[in-house]
Amino acid sequence: MLLAALILIPLLFGVLIAFAPDGRARTLAGLGTTLPLLLGAYVATTFDWTTGERMQLGPMEPAAWMKPLGITLSLGVDSVALLLVLLTLLLGPICVAASATAITTRVRTYYAWLLVLQAAMTGVFCARDLIVFYICFEFTLIPMFVLISLWGSTNRKKAAIKFFLFTFTGSVIALAGLVYVAWYATTTSGGKFAGWTFDIGVLESAARTMSAKQQAFVLLALMAGFAVKVPLFPVHTWLPLAHTEAPTAGSVILAGVLLKLGTYALYRFVLPFVPLAVVEYAPLIALLSIVGILYGGLVCWVQTDVKKLVAYSSVAHLGFCILGMFALNNTGLTGSILYMINHGLSTGALFLLIGMVYERHHTRSMKELGGLAKRMPVWATFMVFFVMASVGLPGLNGFVSEFLCLLGAFQASSAWGSGVWHSLGVQKGATPGDLGPWFAAVAGTGMIVAAMYLLIMVGRVVWGKLVLPHGHGADNHGHGHDVPAADSHATESTGGLPPDLTKREILTLLPLAALCLALGLYPKPVLMALQGPVSRTVSMYDEMLRNPRPGPAVEKSAAAERGAP
Amino acid sequence: MIESFTLASDLSGYLPISLIVLMAIAFGIGNVVISQMLGPRRAGAVKGQSYESGMNAVGTARKRFNVRFYLIAMVFLVFDIEIIFLYPWATTFPNLAPQSDESLLWLLRILFFLFTTVVAYVYGFRKGVFKFD
Amino acid sequence: MSGRLAFLYPEIALFVATCVVMVLGLSRTLKARKASAWVAGLGLVAAGVLAMASTPRMGQASCPISGFVYHDGLTPAMGQVVLAEMVPYVKVMIAGIGLLLLLTMAGTVDREDEARIAAGQAVFDPLRSNRAEFYAFVLFSLTGLMLTASADDLIWLFLALELTSLPTYIMVAISTARNRSREAAVKYFFLGALGAAIFLYGFALMYGGTGHTNLNAIAQHFREHGVSTLSMAGVLLAVFGLCFKIAAVPMHFYTPDVYEGAAPQVSGFLAFVPKTAGFVALLLIVGAVGWEYAGHSAGVTSLFAGDGMEPVKHAAGGRQLPELLRLTLWVIAALTMTVGNVLALLQSSVKRVLAYSSIAHSGYMLVGLIAGPVGSTFTTNGVSAILFYLAAYGVMNTGAFAVLAALERGRDAEGHVGEAESFDDLRGLCASRPMLGWVLVVCSLSLLGLPPLLGFFGKLPLFSVGIAAGEIPLVIVLGLNSAIAAYYYLRLAFTPLLDAKDEGSAAIQAAPFKGRAVAAALSAAGVLVLSLAGGWLMTKAAHAGAYYPSAPVKAESAPISDEPAPLPNDVHE
Repeated sequence: MLLAALILIPLLFGVLIAFAPDGRARTLAGLGTTLPLLLGAYVATTFDWTTGERMQLGPMEPAAWMKPLGITLSLGVDSVALLLVLLTLLLGPICVAASATAITTRVRTYYAWLLVLQAAMTGVFCARDLIVFYICFEFTLIPMFVLISLWGSTNRKKAAIKFFLFTFTGSVIALAGLVYVAWYATTTSGGKFAGWTFDIGVLESAARTMSAKQQAFVLLALMAGFAVKVPLFPVHTWLPLAHTEAPTAGSVILAGVLLKLGTYALYRFVLPFVPLAVVEYAPLIALLSIVGILYGGLVCWVQTDVKKLVAYSSVAHLGFCILGMFALNNTGLTGSILYMINHGLSTGALFLLIGMVYERHHTRSMKELGGLAKRMPVWATFMVFFVMASVGLPGLNGFVSEFLCLLGAFQASSAWGSGVWHSLGVQKGATPGDLGPWFAAVAGTGMIVAAMYLLIMVGRVVWGKLVLPHGHGADNHGHGHDVPAADSHATESTGGLPPDLTKREILTLLPLAALCLALGLYPKPVLMALQGPVSRTVSMYDEMLRNPRPGPAVEKSAAAERGAP
Repeated sequence: MIESFTLASDLSGYLPISLIVLMAIAFGIGNVVISQMLGPRRAGAVKGQSYESGMNAVGTARKRFNVRFYLIAMVFLVFDIEIIFLYPWATTFPNLAPQSDESLLWLLRILFFLFTTVVAYVYGFRKGVFKFD
Repeated sequence: MSGRLAFLYPEIALFVATCVVMVLGLSRTLKARKASAWVAGLGLVAAGVLAMASTPRMGQASCPISGFVYHDGLTPAMGQVVLAEMVPYVKVMIAGIGLLLLLTMAGTVDREDEARIAAGQAVFDPLRSNRAEFYAFVLFSLTGLMLTASADDLIWLFLALELTSLPTYIMVAISTARNRSREAAVKYFFLGALGAAIFLYGFALMYGGTGHTNLNAIAQHFREHGVSTLSMAGVLLAVFGLCFKIAAVPMHFYTPDVYEGAAPQVSGFLAFVPKTAGFVALLLIVGAVGWEYAGHSAGVTSLFAGDGMEPVKHAAGGRQLPELLRLTLWVIAALTMTVGNVLALLQSSVKRVLAYSSIAHSGYMLVGLIAGPVGSTFTTNGVSAILFYLAAYGVMNTGAFAVLAALERGRDAEGHVGEAESFDDLRGLCASRPMLGWVLVVCSLSLLGLPPLLGFFGKLPLFSVGIAAGEIPLVIVLGLNSAIAAYYYLRLAFTPLLDAKDEGSAAIQAAPFKGRAVAAALSAAGVLVLSLAGGWLMTKAAHAGAYYPSAPVKAESAPISDEPAPLPNDVHE
């Protein structure tokens, strides 16, 4: 019931806001996001972190819903899902606070949709039924579409449509894959169409018995849906546009949570459902993620729009996340999941910071901004801090997860455990997977690229000579037309805000900064919490590769032979 | 398993029909061709008249009729069709066992049919079909 | 014999209502004329109740099918057997959605005349009034639709289909005072006649191939002797002809022009009634052919051969349509979806968009027809999927058209009342008329198939039956088409919600007929209620899709099925 409350409270408040007067909307939205956050904190205390792999906190008896379709309203979280739920809940009040001065038109509508989005995202992580998951997964599109197309910048219509069509197309194909799995599960139960179920646990065990060929097709379908959301390299093109055009809170949610829906779905469905295919195609997916890392990084390098730069950096960062995940070992998967949270914190904060500058100067172009440290020292401090977190400075959160992802990729090799490694006492087979040092080495250069572009950006925008945009002419690059220009004295105008950050803005950034620091210095509690689900997934792979399933279809699988000792 | 029939065995029953169709086509074409070959061709003013008997045509053929003619035609159809159905019913009804359930059903059926005719009549009446002014 | 009549109680009720409406509508007093719409509604309610209560069901102890034998001892005398359970479901659905459609029809005809009479400028002239005919046509068409569902004979089927269609031609013509409607009606009539000719020819060839017009006898003939070339030609022609009714490629050309020319409420009628008639007829014809032929092959499905993809077999051997029929329907389905959706992208008129989307939805449903009853549950029975989708489509689509019907523009130069047609007319509707705006948002998102709305739950079983039947490429086409459709449905949903009203649309106002707005509201409410708690309707659809593959031989007791249990286990609560 606790989880249901986490979903229902924002939803109810969303409806309430829609009928409330404009003046009350923000207060209600604050309440509607803070209450779930407090409740979430309580949930975190009741959750048994020592058995994090177990689905917990769900209602005892899943309620049937649309019975002929076999859908059940069952909720539950393992520690991975709970951590992501907590991230979502944390970003909720932050987004509301960040929108205080930025959103001046149709305030009610804005907060109503924001809260509906919050509910849907929480639902995705809490769902234990495939269709419930899918409903929430898809329903996030509508609020996001509205947020982008009503409160976005110049190009918002195009961005919103592109965002919707890309992700919707992908996820419809993913649905076909998921339904295929559900159908397969019914046929395995004695050859009869006994019961039709979408329970993730049931499907998980049934799906693994599919042949390698079937798994490959299901993998293809699922990747079509979830890779778009992540986004993986060739299907990432919607992301920079959507990020750039979205309002600040939209970007924060997009980077912080919506992208994680994709990686979470990969963790929840792809890894446990189609292990044979995953092992076979892990190198390919890893390759795509490395291309994403390098390509994203290099594109960032030439950006002049700060927001676009951070957007492309998301492509690169999520590349690390996927690389770690498909290393298929403890180290990599732990790093990957940690990366989901860290990226949400640091990139979310970066979007907040960019939004704050944009509110004051109505530009995001590096050509028009420079030396802001002189005018906004507090802002500059936060900026440098979060950039460092994002780059992966040791001591901050980004480093831990990035390092783990790379280490995982490095260790994921059949070479690991022989030769010199063997003499160091490494056991062969302890780290299945088909990546290896080369993957890690190439991806590692992505870290250097990341350092370059982010530091260049900081160098220009924060340090150096003070540059502020001159006037608000339509010829200015990166100008948003929907934000009312305050007055003609642009250099002095800060949109009615003080030059440096207000208390409210500092308060929105502080929790994120504190978490970045905490997770960087002492990540152990989170790593411990992740141990259960990670080792559950990885041991399944270990088991599968050591004892390949009998049967003609499996024996032919090259992957199985490769992994066999 | 169900196998298909072959085309030949399937269509053999159609041979007589196709023969008749062929004969019909041949007859039509033949007549046109023969009259083309044998018929005399004489053109002239009289030849072009509507009635070769010598009657002169009066006015144009594209004349508009009063819409009431159509209404009357429709009403006629209602009663015409009624007769078409009533007649076979009347010839069959005496053959049924008297006072049986079946004969009652037949009676009810034709009564229902007559009811629809009455409705059509009332509708026509209301619509003003029978008004001539 | 009275048992056989029990099939027809709903139709008789509707017919009696039609008779009353025809007479009442010509009354001199306005009150009596206005009552005709209410009588029509009452007739529909009665028909629905009768269909629920009195239609004989398969598997009942007093199964009416068991008692009667034709003289040649071949077939049961009552109702078609193969998809017998479908009949009551379809009829109740028709009555329900028919009521919604009837509400949208408020004020369609005689608006000017009645206004003049009310103002004392004219006296009532029955010859000029169309109200009686219009409501009678609505009822006639719905009667024909119900008769289509009851049909057990090709001749009956043909007559019922014609009774469904003929009134709609005139409804299109008299729905507005503009010439555009008449042009649409003529176009619709001639293409309709062409379609009817084609499927009638098909029926004739089926008779030639089997020697029967009775659907049960035909079904039995096919199962005993296979589908001969001649019969197959007949079935294919019937399918092509019925493509006209469901607005599927290659007979879809009329759809956008006719929908655009007719008044929106009549377009909404056209989108549901002939489509349902077409699908019911297709189910009857294809069901008579049956889904248990061997020859499962083609495409990606063969990739899975021997991979645990072994189909569940019926007694006759295979589990698909005859390959030629399957391929034909496959191509029609894929083309219909794609053509409908792609062309809808290019339209600027809302009615044309909805027309093309109506084409696309027919394509979606054809997936269920191709898959057929793979299993007996809701998720594996294509017939149930179609039946559920028809109901869902009826509700959402009526809602969308009802919104258009509830809006109108000021009079043009010729004094005709304009319609809300372009997307610009809908801008800012959620702000100016919140109820209508939100109805359009809900209905178009549902038509798009966005979870958790009704359209999604309609599409989900189509996905699952497609996959269960091994038609995976077709399911992928279905998925991609849903994504294409997203573009124009988003436009339809978000133009009222997001765009600000501009100056040009100032003339848009609410039509002075409450019925249309009520129909819109009821449709949206229906969509929402069925989205949250549509399980019962799915259960009904699962029952209704029950398939009795082999035709009965003699007067034996039902059920006539190879499966041990004719009704699916998991739909019994």
